[in-house]
Amino acid sequence: MAVFSSPRQVRSKSKAGKQMHAGPVTYAVLIVFTAVSLFPLIWTAIAASRTSGRLSQTPPPLWFGANLFKNLGTAWTDANLSQALLNSAVVAGSITVGTVLFSTIAGFAFAKLRFRFKTVLLMLVIATMMVPPQLSVVPMFLWIAKLDWTNHLQAVILPTFVSAFGVFFMRQYLTQALPTELIEAARVDGASSMRIVWHVVFPVARPAMAVLGMLTFVFAWNDFFWPIIALTQENPTVQVALTSLAHGYVPDESVVMAGALLGTLPLLLVFVVFGKQIVGGIMQGAVKG
Amino acid sequence: MGTTTKSHRHRSRRTAAVALAAVAALGASLLAGCSSDSGNTSSPGSSGGKGKTTITVGTFGVFGYKQAGLYDEYEKAHPNITIKENVIERNDTYYPQLLTHLAAGSGLSDIQAIEVGNINEVVTTQAAKFEDLSKASGVDKSNFLPWKWAQATTADNKTVALGTDIGPMAICYRTDLFKKAGLPTDRTKVGALWAGDWSKYIAAGKTYKKSAPTGTTFMDSAAGLYQAVSNSYSERYYDSSGNVVYKTSPSVKTAWNLAMEASTSGLTGKLKLFDKAWDQAFANGKFASLPCPSWMLGYIQEKSGDSGKGKWDVAAAPKPANWGGSFIGVPSAGKNKAEAVKLAAWLTAPEQQAKVFAKQASFPSAPGAYDLPAVKDAKHAYFNNAPIGEIFASAAKSIPTLVIGPKDQQIYTAITDVGILQVEQQGKTPAQGWAAAVKEINNALDQ
Amino acid sequence: MVSELSDIAGATASPAQGGAAPRDEAAQHRPADHDPAAALRRKWRSRLYRWDVKGSPYAFVSPFFLFFVAFGLFPLIYTGWSSFYRVELTNLDAREFVGFHNYTRLFQDEFFWNALRNTFTIGVISTVPQLLMALGLAHLLNYRLRGSTFFRVAMLVPYATSVAAAALVFTLMFGTDYGMINWALGHLGFGHTDWRAGTWSSQIAVSSIVIWRWTGYNTLIYLAAMQAVPSDLYESAALDGASRWQQFRHVTVPMLRPTILFTIVVSTIGATQLFGEPYLFGGTGGEKGGSAHQFQTLGLYLYEQGWTNYHLGRASAIAWTMFLLLLLIAAVNGLAARWLRKSQ
Repeated sequence: MAVFSSPRQVRSKSKAGKQMHAGPVTYAVLIVFTAVSLFPLIWTAIAASRTSGRLSQTPPPLWFGANLFKNLGTAWTDANLSQALLNSAVVAGSITVGTVLFSTIAGFAFAKLRFRFKTVLLMLVIATMMVPPQLSVVPMFLWIAKLDWTNHLQAVILPTFVSAFGVFFMRQYLTQALPTELIEAARVDGASSMRIVWHVVFPVARPAMAVLGMLTFVFAWNDFFWPIIALTQENPTVQVALTSLAHGYVPDESVVMAGALLGTLPLLLVFVVFGKQIVGGIMQGAVKG
Repeated sequence: MGTTTKSHRHRSRRTAAVALAAVAALGASLLAGCSSDSGNTSSPGSSGGKGKTTITVGTFGVFGYKQAGLYDEYEKAHPNITIKENVIERNDTYYPQLLTHLAAGSGLSDIQAIEVGNINEVVTTQAAKFEDLSKASGVDKSNFLPWKWAQATTADNKTVALGTDIGPMAICYRTDLFKKAGLPTDRTKVGALWAGDWSKYIAAGKTYKKSAPTGTTFMDSAAGLYQAVSNSYSERYYDSSGNVVYKTSPSVKTAWNLAMEASTSGLTGKLKLFDKAWDQAFANGKFASLPCPSWMLGYIQEKSGDSGKGKWDVAAAPKPANWGGSFIGVPSAGKNKAEAVKLAAWLTAPEQQAKVFAKQASFPSAPGAYDLPAVKDAKHAYFNNAPIGEIFASAAKSIPTLVIGPKDQQIYTAITDVGILQVEQQGKTPAQGWAAAVKEINNALDQ
Repeated sequence: MVSELSDIAGATASPAQGGAAPRDEAAQHRPADHDPAAALRRKWRSRLYRWDVKGSPYAFVSPFFLFFVAFGLFPLIYTGWSSFYRVELTNLDAREFVGFHNYTRLFQDEFFWNALRNTFTIGVISTVPQLLMALGLAHLLNYRLRGSTFFRVAMLVPYATSVAAAALVFTLMFGTDYGMINWALGHLGFGHTDWRAGTWSSQIAVSSIVIWRWTGYNTLIYLAAMQAVPSDLYESAALDGASRWQQFRHVTVPMLRPTILFTIVVSTIGATQLFGEPYLFGGTGGEKGGSAHQFQTLGLYLYEQGWTNYHLGRASAIAWTMFLLLLLIAAVNGLAARWLRKSQ
């Protein structure tokens, strides 16, 4: 009980104050940024609804044309997107689960537990982020070919299954967000480390896990540089499949854009699911009662 | 613990549910991963269901075999064969991937495409990793243009790839703009304006400029002109013994000087080829002519759109030259080499090349196709019904045998994308542009 | 950076770990002396507990290192090894040992220095506004909002938009004759800018794409951290008469210190490796970064050497130089921080 007498925790009992409501200026600013953020995606849809030739004309089209469903259909069948979407869901889903899970427990250890070589190991994690990715592709492929994983999904899942970015992110977040007193209290109760992770760390980490999940999913979904080497059109992810759309000496840009649109829409769905997880008041829930 | 415990438990139950869902998702996804793996273990080049052999064809964007219906036709004639195509949009993504796969001996398709800019490098450095097609059954050397055959053949007569299309060149021009500028519009007369000499093309440009319709230029870019001129010689960046000679070779010097003259006299639109601004200039009719290989006709049609319909025409180029084209080879690490060789031979036979030409104007490298009706009688409706089969065939027959080298691509890119563009878009002098290009090439070639 | 990180590491190594003993409820009810089985159980349990406290941190960090050793270490070593050889992608087996040649060559390589300079300037003009804007936006998103999920999702859309689509849109926006930006500037009385041809104009254009793409990304990272700031801190600040701005400065920013540090480190690394945005801005042959390499970054130069010119050895040396450069920045940063603290 002593834990909860720390002044910061006691004060957290009341609900969020009125001053936290947003005013019209806030909405105005957010709407402007939202418009700038969404414009290229909306324009992708406009481009996908036109013909390829129209996209070269000036001024470029700013409103929807009549060919959206025709182009979407062409892109869907030409790029064999049904299998690609399934593969991408498996790849991005697995990488997201692996990254979020392993990053959270490792971040927790680095933030709140004491062990030898901690600082050195953390520095090592950060140092691995500094390796430029473009070049690893050649040795990585030699390695994957040796394992005989070419064209198999594990070739793109396992190399990015954990992420230094995620570990570092979780460590910084939990350093701030997880009161050491909570862990102490759990220890006093005789909780094992696994129980602490489950009952204390995960609830507190939820907003950060949601954000890390979103970022990781997008990264894995849109990753192109490595999958294009490791996979072929026989077993592609969405990004690999989409490169097959531009065929002939005159690639049909509107179909390419339709493919890009089909490849992006599932992400929005994932965002809504994750976005709802970033809710306030986690601290209050975990501590107060 | 009181209330804390209670809420704690409540909270953790929800967390547990979330975590459980996550674990379930992981399990499911790993399972799915396994199943979709096992569904595909057979596919890298081996047999599919019912004892069928699957042949994979790896290409970059431009081939059009599928679109021309060739795969369907072959599968119909060979019921035990299924063909799958691995297309990657751009050669600059495709080729490094091919090199990586060749180095590891893994991930290769049964047939792999090679662009003309890379063929010499493949012949000189990767020949051991490809099947020799020179004596393969179904392959007839006499079917191909000799220079095309020679480009894919090593010094000890191993042919690593078969020619697909070539890019004989003509001049595409807009009759409406030519008329306004007081130039002839009939394709024979237009061709006669500059027959035999690229500098006459420049001279025609100067005439054009005197009464040019406002906002238009005679040609699109100095880079396109440079490419066309330098390719109409037999020696360009390398001499026949493999030395880099671009600094002294007459073709580069002539091409560079003409390109610079065109640019500094205001005859060019100062555009970068295949850029969005280039496309838009087509759409807006901003220039009157450009050197065009056969495969570019579709591009011009698409980008010029309806507003350019009936306004474009095709005339013979000052000198015959080749721009672009490709090959297909069979990697030795493939699993269905025998079947792949058969398919490659079939795809490059004159009849099939003629079919691809009919579909997308990729000009055949097999002269036998030139007399087939699909080529001989081909007219292009968008280009004023120009007899493109005839125009390009006559160019193709007199294309010089060009010496190519392993780093042609890098040298060409340095001269056009660095040297010429600096002059056209950044206001540098031709001397500065050339110096920058040389520096660029030195850096690219230096080992 | 390094020392600051280790400071945080030190500061948060709280006395909690292993300090508190488990409360053995059984022992309270039944004294152990009378029941040897219970004593054994208790002994066993406390031993388990000690193993758990000692061992679990290693268990928690081990997945990361296991995967790194399995998939990250070999490429790193291979690249380092290759950097001492003359080796081409066209023939990996023909290696010739050249010692430090690939590194010493870089010192005289004006393309390398140019790329280093560009990386630095683009890094500064893209990262600083990006992080400041992200912090502000996160603060706004942390208010009680209608449609908060919509705004959050929208912020991340640029990061999710496919590169092909973004490339086309920005090429059209920055076009010289028909671009929307020149059209808008034209109405303000400016002449047409060839954005790609100029050094500053191209770097500003690339930076604006970077800012567009990554601001929302950092916003969400900040937002997650803000969710963990106890709301009572704001309330008491409000009671003390602090304005919104003062609350932001004196409550939000200090509380977010670890996360801000995180974004600075990650953005610095990201800026040093910047590749995608200048590549797509360059159009065909984008790895050159413009005809005079006016926006060629180190990432592009590395790519050009490795994937266009196929000089694998030289590209490896560039990669390792970038890696060492980042370590150097980190070390200098750390030393400076230490020196500053001492002099205070």
